[in-house]
Amino acid sequence: MEETGRIVKVSGPLVIAEGMGHARIYDVVRVSEKQLIGEIIEMRGDMASIQVYEETSMLGPGEPVVTTGEPLSVELGPGLLEGMFDGIQRPLNAIRAAAGDFIERGVSVKSLDREKKWEFVPLKNVGDAVEEGDIIGTVQENAVMEHKILVPIGVKGTLKNITGGSYTVDSTVAAVATDKGERGLTLMQKWPVRKQRPSKQKLSPDAPMITGQRVVDTFFPVTKGGTACVPGPFGSGKTVIQHQLAKWSDVEIVVYVGCGERGNEMTDVLNEFPELKDPKSGEPLMKRTVLIANTSNMPVAAREASIYTGITIGEYFRDMGYSVALMADSSSRWAEALREMSGRLEEMPGDEGYPAYLGSRLSEFYERAGKFSCKGADERVGTLTAIGAVSPPGGDLSEPVTQATLRIVKVFWGLDADLAYRRHFPAINWLNSYSLYLDTISAWIDKNIDGRFSKLRLKAMTLLQEESALNEIVRLVGYDALSEPDQLKLEVAKSVREDYLQQNSFDETDSYTSLAKQCKMLDLVLAFGDEAKKALDAGVYLKKILALKVRDQIARAKSIPEGEISKIENIRSEMLKDIKKLTDEEAGEDA
Amino acid sequence: MITMPKIGVVGDKDSVLAFKAFGLSVFPAVASDSEASRKIVDKLAREDYGIIFVTEQIAETITETIDRYDRCVLPAIILIPGSTGSLGIGLARIRRNVEKAVGMNILDSF
Repeated sequence: MEETGRIVKVSGPLVIAEGMGHARIYDVVRVSEKQLIGEIIEMRGDMASIQVYEETSMLGPGEPVVTTGEPLSVELGPGLLEGMFDGIQRPLNAIRAAAGDFIERGVSVKSLDREKKWEFVPLKNVGDAVEEGDIIGTVQENAVMEHKILVPIGVKGTLKNITGGSYTVDSTVAAVATDKGERGLTLMQKWPVRKQRPSKQKLSPDAPMITGQRVVDTFFPVTKGGTACVPGPFGSGKTVIQHQLAKWSDVEIVVYVGCGERGNEMTDVLNEFPELKDPKSGEPLMKRTVLIANTSNMPVAAREASIYTGITIGEYFRDMGYSVALMADSSSRWAEALREMSGRLEEMPGDEGYPAYLGSRLSEFYERAGKFSCKGADERVGTLTAIGAVSPPGGDLSEPVTQATLRIVKVFWGLDADLAYRRHFPAINWLNSYSLYLDTISAWIDKNIDGRFSKLRLKAMTLLQEESALNEIVRLVGYDALSEPDQLKLEVAKSVREDYLQQNSFDETDSYTSLAKQCKMLDLVLAFGDEAKKALDAGVYLKKILALKVRDQIARAKSIPEGEISKIENIRSEMLKDIKKLTDEEAGEDA
Repeated sequence: MITMPKIGVVGDKDSVLAFKAFGLSVFPAVASDSEASRKIVDKLAREDYGIIFVTEQIAETITETIDRYDRCVLPAIILIPGSTGSLGIGLARIRRNVEKAVGMNILDSF
């Protein structure tokens, strides 16, 4: 008979049980007759502290606790995509069918659908030597994604049999003769969430993750396999940016972890994604998306697990050689969950009550992102990009979660309440944001898209910085005291801000801008500045230049559809013509 | 080598002729043709004139151009009364500039 522990204390999601000497830390346990799922997070003698992933009201001392002897694991296999799971990978749709709109306690539903049959196509033959990470076959999961079936980690040997056909996720499709005897392979495998899935080697990321967001791609790009964070006070558009990245990033799989945020933000995702078409495949975006939802009204402890669940699923797809992006919205709620558990465990608090290990937990999470050479004989390379939103209370970036995150991530998109208030969206502040991947990515874009790109970028950035310096002067002595060239600079900087950086997420054409169009648009705005400066030097009045009709067209360049970006060239030549006319008029007067 | 900035005078013939005696370059203009006056001032500015004297009668018609050079270090445009008398705008400009520089009007009062 299984050994059973007894509850001695219940404190919110934390349960302390005695008689647990046989269990190990991070084991999953079933608490009380209600079979609540919990995880051991601390052991002292035979006392185990258990964080329970479900509501613990009505639990009392004396109730039984049984360990399953396994760490918290996720099921990885066909059926993940288009799925929506809670923090410990329980499928929300199936739970709804079983228990109604809100999750009831102790509901036990398998993560992956055990009934559904998948068409398995073998790629290896009987007698082939296989090692961990090798692809033995594929399952066409939906119109877009081909799910590759991998040899689980730790299995190596010769294929004894393998047959194609229709299978459920838990039926054996192949058998491998290993040193330790024969081992059956199913379409599904399990992996403990707190452990990083192994890879051959971590590589240095070089290619950009193109997001179609102008301010991100041009000024603060992130690589495939990079890490980024989006801190910002509430109302500044963190969630919208995360959604935009989830929608438009040129990755193959998106894992979206809604962690402690409002339920209707997840509803937005659920409503929008099936309708939005992937610009590459033309299929609904939902087909490449996995959602992990632990909204603010769901149990706190599961929030802590949701991030790990998300990144483990991400790693699984990475191991197939795909590029994966993981969005976590928001890591502050996750840190707050840590704080709550830490407080109940009576640990010594660090800054603002966060546990002392906040920094190491955060880096543990972000370090699982990267570009990897995957396990397996073929030299697959997979990338996992991690983007975390941070919600610093009061927008104060000096708080511990933001600071701990900044130490790890290489891209910082600082959202600004002022910009948001001025209706400048995306409200990424160009003066304090940064990307440490800029050099690598600039080289990549110059080589692959347009040789002028990094120069244009530098010029636009310089202009924006000059603008902020000039604005200081304007605040002191007023706009009229500036010389005409300086006034022109302000106008061009304004044009960069309003005509280029501002982007409407809810406008069909403006929502996504390809790199080629970005380059042309930026060139157009800056070329106007250059030409206007020349005209100004030739004696043309600034008022006349600013009154040019072509400026309206420059402002509207963003609404030119992707298919017609040559139209931007037309605007450019028209602009050159108009300014030349002004200069000629001026010169003609002298003659 | 530092070149000495040139000085130009723009105004109606009667007003500016006398300046020729001091060796300044004079440019006759008429108040009725503001476009021509504007071009003269713009041209002088481009040709690196350091000081341009303009009669008030002419300046009145080309305020936009005068404002334009107010924001530059050079040329300094200084309004002078014409042969028909002063309109007072030249002195008003000086008063305004002094006010800007020292923060209060120190020319009149007392």
